[in-house]
Order: sequence, then C-alpha cells, then structure tokens
Amino acid sequence: MGSFFDLVVGTVTQGLIYALLSLGVYITYRILDFPDLTVDGSFPLGAAVAAVLLTRGVSPYLTLIVAMAVGALAGLVTGVIHVKLGVRDLLAGIITMTGLFSINLQIAGSNLAVDRATDTIFTAAPTMALFGAMPLIYRKLVVSLILAVVFKLILDAYFSTQSGLLLRAVGDNSTLVTTLAKDKGSVKILGLVISNTLVALSGAVVCHEQRAFNSTMGTGQVVFGLATVIIGTTLFKNLGFVKGTTAVIIGSILYKACIQVAISLGLPANLLKLITAVLFLIILVLGNRRKSGVNANA
Amino acid sequence: MMKKIIAVAVILAIFATFAAGCGSKKVPVIGISQYGEHASLDNCREGFLQGLKEAGLEEGKDFVIDYQNAGFDDSIATQIAQTFSANNVALMVGIATPAAIACFAAAEDKDIPVVFSAITDPVMAKLDKGNITGTSDKLPVDAQLDLIRKIQPEAKTIGIIYTTSEPNSVSAIAEYEEKAPQYGFAIESIGVTQQSEVTLAVDTLLSKGVDCFSNLTDNNVVGVLPSVLEKTNAAGIPVYGSEVEQVKIGCVASAGIDYIALGIQTGKMAAKILKGEATAENMPYETITEFNYYINSAALAEMGLEVPAEIAEKAIESGQ
Amino acid sequence: MLELRDIVKIYNPGTITEMCLFQGFNLTVADGDFLSIVGSNGSGKTSLLNIICGSIPVEGGQVLINGEDITKMKEYRRYGRIGRVYQNPAMGSCPNLTLLENLSLADNKGRPFGLKKGINKARREYYREQLAALGLGLEDKLEVKMGALSGGQRQAAALIMATLTPIDFLILDEHTAALDPKTAETIMELTDKVIREKKLTAIMVTHNLRYAVEYGNRLIMMDKGQIVLEKAGAEKEATTVADVLHIFNEISIECGN
Repeated sequence: MGSFFDLVVGTVTQGLIYALLSLGVYITYRILDFPDLTVDGSFPLGAAVAAVLLTRGVSPYLTLIVAMAVGALAGLVTGVIHVKLGVRDLLAGIITMTGLFSINLQIAGSNLAVDRATDTIFTAAPTMALFGAMPLIYRKLVVSLILAVVFKLILDAYFSTQSGLLLRAVGDNSTLVTTLAKDKGSVKILGLVISNTLVALSGAVVCHEQRAFNSTMGTGQVVFGLATVIIGTTLFKNLGFVKGTTAVIIGSILYKACIQVAISLGLPANLLKLITAVLFLIILVLGNRRKSGVNANA
Repeated sequence: MMKKIIAVAVILAIFATFAAGCGSKKVPVIGISQYGEHASLDNCREGFLQGLKEAGLEEGKDFVIDYQNAGFDDSIATQIAQTFSANNVALMVGIATPAAIACFAAAEDKDIPVVFSAITDPVMAKLDKGNITGTSDKLPVDAQLDLIRKIQPEAKTIGIIYTTSEPNSVSAIAEYEEKAPQYGFAIESIGVTQQSEVTLAVDTLLSKGVDCFSNLTDNNVVGVLPSVLEKTNAAGIPVYGSEVEQVKIGCVASAGIDYIALGIQTGKMAAKILKGEATAENMPYETITEFNYYINSAALAEMGLEVPAEIAEKAIESGQ
Repeated sequence: MLELRDIVKIYNPGTITEMCLFQGFNLTVADGDFLSIVGSNGSGKTSLLNIICGSIPVEGGQVLINGEDITKMKEYRRYGRIGRVYQNPAMGSCPNLTLLENLSLADNKGRPFGLKKGINKARREYYREQLAALGLGLEDKLEVKMGALSGGQRQAAALIMATLTPIDFLILDEHTAALDPKTAETIMELTDKVIREKKLTAIMVTHNLRYAVEYGNRLIMMDKGQIVLEKAGAEKEATTVADVLHIFNEISIECGN
C-alpha cells in the first residue's frame, strides 16, 4: 500500500532527525547522570541559527556546522555555571535555557520562515547530485538516515577512546575520576558540550525540514529526549549487543511511531496525547517485565 | 523478547489498517490541521465547512474531512501534515501559522495544494508564494482605535499585553504603535513569554495608569481573559476585545473579525480548487477587511461608558 | 617523603558546632614506611587522610611532598602521585564498566586521556597476569561489569588499579572494614604483598588493631587530634595487640565511653 509505506517513511524520517536530540540527551542523562534542561534552549538555538543563515544565503551544510558550534557554546555555558559557580545540575540547565529563550528571539525574532526557493540540505546541489532521482520524501529519509548513522558511529568511536571512557566513568563514579588525577568538572563540561552540539544539530535539521523556526519549538524537548532514551534503553536492556546509541535512535523512531498511530487511529483529536501516553506505558511495562523476571530468580 | 515482537507488530498492524483504509477512498479527502482548540480557530473551522457547503459541495459525496488537532504542539503538527501527504489528500487546510507551515512543508513533495486560514502575516511566514493560498485575519487596527476614541474621547493611553513568540501578535503590535498617534493615543505594551505572566502584566499596566486595554488575538492572553477582566473590572478600566467571543465574556466592545465569516471565505476558496476552477498557485491570499462592531451593554454600563449612536446602530449586542 | 607541618584544622568555624581538631599537628612519613593509624571515631584519622589528599582544606600549616608545598594544590592534581583505596569497595571502580575498562582507565593515570583507543589490547595479558597473582579468579572476569563482582573482588581490583601506575604514596582508608573476615584477611595479605613488591610508601587507617600491629613498620594511635602512641621499627615488632588495646581502652575511659 503506497500510503502505508509513505507513512512509515515520514515517521522514520522524523524519528531519525529527532534521534540526534536523543543521542544528545543520552550523553548527559544516561552517561553523565546529569539531567540537562539546556536542551529546551539549545534545540531552538540550532534552528534559529540555521533559519537566519539560510535566509542570508549561506550554504545549507555550513548552517549545520555553525548550529553545532553554537550548541557547543550553550553546553559550555551550562557546564561552567554548574562546575565553576557551583549551581546544581538541574538549575544550571534551567538558567542557560531561560537565557537562550531571549537570545533566540534576538537571533531570529519570534518566527522565521525559509521560502521554498532557498535550498536546504534536502534540496541543495550536492544532495540532488546523489539522490535527486528520489521524490523529496524519500530523499529526506535518506539524508536523515545518513546524519543519524554518521553521528551514531562518531559517538560510538568516541566512547571507545580514552577520553570517551573517562566520560563514561565520570557519570558512573566521579570519585574514581578524581582519584585518577583528572578534574571531573572539566570532564562533565566536555560531556555537556558534546551533548548540546548534537541537540542544536537536531534543531537545525528540523528547521531545514520544516523550513521554519519558531521560538517555542524547544518547549518539552527535554521530556521527549528523556522519554526516548528511557524507552530505547529499557527495551534493549537485556540485549547486550545493541549499543546504547542504537537503542535511543530506535526509541526516537518508536516515539514518533506512537504519535503516528494515535493520529492514524482517527480518534478525537484531543485524545492524541493520552493515547501516546498509553502506548509508552505499554512499551515500558513490556520492557520492565523481563527485568523483574530476572530479579525474582536472583 | 517474544512479547516485544508482538507489541511492535500490533502497533504496526493498527496503523497499517487505518492507512490502508484511508488510501482506498475515491472521494477527495480534505485534511484539516488545526493548531489547537481555541474559540477563534474553532469558529474558523466551522466557517470553512459552511463555506464548502455554500459553494455547492456535499460532504460525503464531493469530499470527506480528516480533521486533526495538534494540541499546540509543533512536532505533532508536522506529523499530522505528513500523514495527510502520505494519504494523498486532495487538499490540506492549515488553521493558524504553525499548522499551515507544517502543511506547506509536507505538501512540497507531491505538490498538494494548501489553503490556510487565521494567519495574520502570510508574507512573513513565507506562505504567499507557491501552491498555497488562504485568508489572513489581519486585525482591523484602525477600526479598533477609532472605536476606542469614540467611546472614550478623553483616553490617552491604551495598554496591550502580547506574547513575544506569537507571530500574529508581534505584527499586530507593530501596527498598533504605528497607527495609535493618528488617533491621539500612546501605546503601553508588555510582552510576556507564557500564560502565567499575563496577570502580572495586567497589574503592571494598571499601575502605569492606562485608560483602557485592547486585546490582540493572542492565545495566551485570550486564554486567561476571565482573570484579566477580574482585575480590570476591579480597577474600573475597560478592556476592548479583538473578537466576538471576548466581548461575550465581558469585554466592553470590539471592532472585530468574524472568524466564521473568515472561515466561510476560506471554504469558498478551497471549493474552487476542488472543483478545478482555480489553483492555489494562482489565487493570491485574501485579507478579510470587513469587520463588525460587537458591544456588551452590561459591561459598558458598569464602566459608565456609552456608545455613540452611529456605532450603536451597526453594533451587534453580544453581552450575556 | 610526606610531611605535615603545624596543621590547623577547625570544623565549622564561627558556628555553634565549631570544633578545633588539629592545633599544630605534625607528622613525617619517610620513603618506604608502611604506617598504620588507629584511633577511635572522631580522633582525626580520616581527617588526616583527607588533608593529605586535599579532600578538605586546612586553616593553617603545610602539607609537603618531597619538600614541595602542596597545601594549595587541588585534590585531583595531588592524586597524580597518590593512590587511594576507600572503605567502600564501590568507590574504587565504575560499576557499569567492565573490569578491563576499569583497569584501562587506571593504567592511563598520569597521562592525557585523548583520542587513542580506550582499551589497549597489548596490555590485556599484563592485566591478566596482575589479576592472576591475586589468586581470586579475576583474570577470567575481564569482560564482567564491576557491579556484578563481590565486594572483596572489587576491593582487590581497586588495589591493583591504585597501584598500576607509579605512585609516591598508597593511602588505605579502612579498606578492609566493609569486608567479611575471610575476605578482609585476603585483601590485607594482598595489600602487604603489593606494597612489598612495588616498594610503596603506605599509610593505612584501620580499626583492626591486629592488622595495625602485624603489618607495616610504624604504628600511631590518635585521640582527639593528637598522637598518643607511636611505635616504630624494632619496638613495633615487639608490640602486641594487647598493649595497643590497653592504651586504647584507657583513653576511651577518660572520655567516658
């Protein structure tokens, strides 16, 4: 069925674009054990930067890189506030996020749209050269897939380096990091920087895909990120061969799929969020069932 | 593991069923994406359906409606629009800017026509070119300023609260500030970022001694209008609404757009596209210029205000 | 060589609970010493370790290592040449990383943590040898997550990790206190073995008077921030647990325990 396939393609594309955000939240929440609310601010920051640069005629691919750089800065700010000024993790993120709301308004105003004549990463010449034969919907899928896979692989490679191992250690047992003569504060800051780089990238890609930035697009994204990380890691808890990075990408796709199911079910529109919540519950309960089975036998 | 496979399969099966169902319809589907539930937007949608009818189209025979509500969530609006595209709807209708933007983005691939409604500045939203058309609800600012001047000849300052991230509000404020001096007014405005800040803003404006308040079609402000009115009534300061529903709740008067009329106009434009009489590409968007005077006599009396005869004759009594 | 000179430590200065623990405390630990510190709770044993490592600041005095004043040096920097094993076996390693990953981390101490591979395959054999020498079967558990190992196993691993790279001091912070008697014995023997083989200078705080007496070449007992008993060399060899316990009870009675 043509339309079913298109539905899947569209849903998976959204899942892959937002998977970049999930990967970012995975680093701070899961690996650093740091609930980072900066995300609600750095996600639209990436979009704001991308929107402004696209409307100024900057190369679409370059807009992604600039968005990432600015996202890194946002992470750095939160890190410095937390480590050097001693503010609690949750609050440090809130401070940056609140400040970013104003900064985003300054960068792009309350809304900034990109007209169809402007090329995005999905329609620019290099992309067309490779995938121009495909309809736009499939091209969006392929480009998003490439982005998600490339950054997943980069992260996986990073976690297998000494620096990556240290990052994993700081969230697991920060005392050990100190005993290894490393400054755990600096390691945390690095983690926040990497995380928000990915989150801002996600926002920028969303801006390319929707051709718009709006200043409230960050609201609730940290909740989305946490939900996808938890769904992904819970489902694949006992399948050791599935890496954490893969699990959260799947978590993101599943989240979008749940919303798609709710939309397609054709039930009263107001119940959309309730239906999504019920679907999450089903997934999490199924994921935890297996876990409690192991505990009972231990 | 087995349970997980079953669960995922069930989920896929569910939406396969519905997707399949949608795909096999022969009657053109109109996908309506409304940004959220809201009196003006609801009126708009109702008017739209009425407009289709008035253009001679019959629901069930000439078209079927797929109505989705994004709950004020942009990413849900995105997925709704993608669903419409995947289901090959004949026409997408986006009510309010974020929904329209999402529809336009999703419609690009198959070049599905898009009709929008209730967007104050389609040019800024880059929705004025391409296979898209619709109606703009630019506020009749001149008419409102004129109305206030006629009801309160001595007033000097108008207080306005708006949400900094709502595109409709931002452009309306700019227009107010541009035109107010022509009517001898100064504007005292406060921008908020979320609904919880609105009542605080009311207090601030009252303390600055504004002579009255005027509303934009701002979701946050309109959402807490009753609590705003509580404070302004206590202070004896009148509030002018931007739309009939607000006057019903207790605003003294309004030179406002009839959103049902806006919707009807939109519906008629959509009907032309469905009938093949025109394409969205070739139809420039229309701004509704007609407005009505709505008054709430009880609220006016409480404020000790009177409406001059010339307006009273044309006005629609909306008090409850 | 470690030197603590005229250390002044006041807890909660300026408040009702102000307590002056050290008022000009002095201690010297020579290279090659294996010093045991015993004392009742609140005597200042743990504070002493924390002052050496830089976990807590001092209000006066100096901490010197080989003549260099490190009093103002940040905690993490001090650990460059100091190894520490904590009382809680969970503190010595990362529970969600494997034994191999933990060892790899410890192996890189003192060098930059850059983009080279986190796990050095070439060193795997070396880790196996070190673990095999402990006789606990850990050499076969390299791929196991630390959290799945027992307290004794984790503590043994922590000991290896703390001594994997060259260090000036090994700080043992009641490291057998949380283990069952048999495991504690095993770990204590291992500790002694590691210290001897690597010729380390060690400071061990312990509640176990027998360990303090049987191991090492120096013993001090602390009470209320002061050294009340000190034995070294041959004199220490001759000391028995009974002697130490006697003095321990004396000071305890004085306090009204």
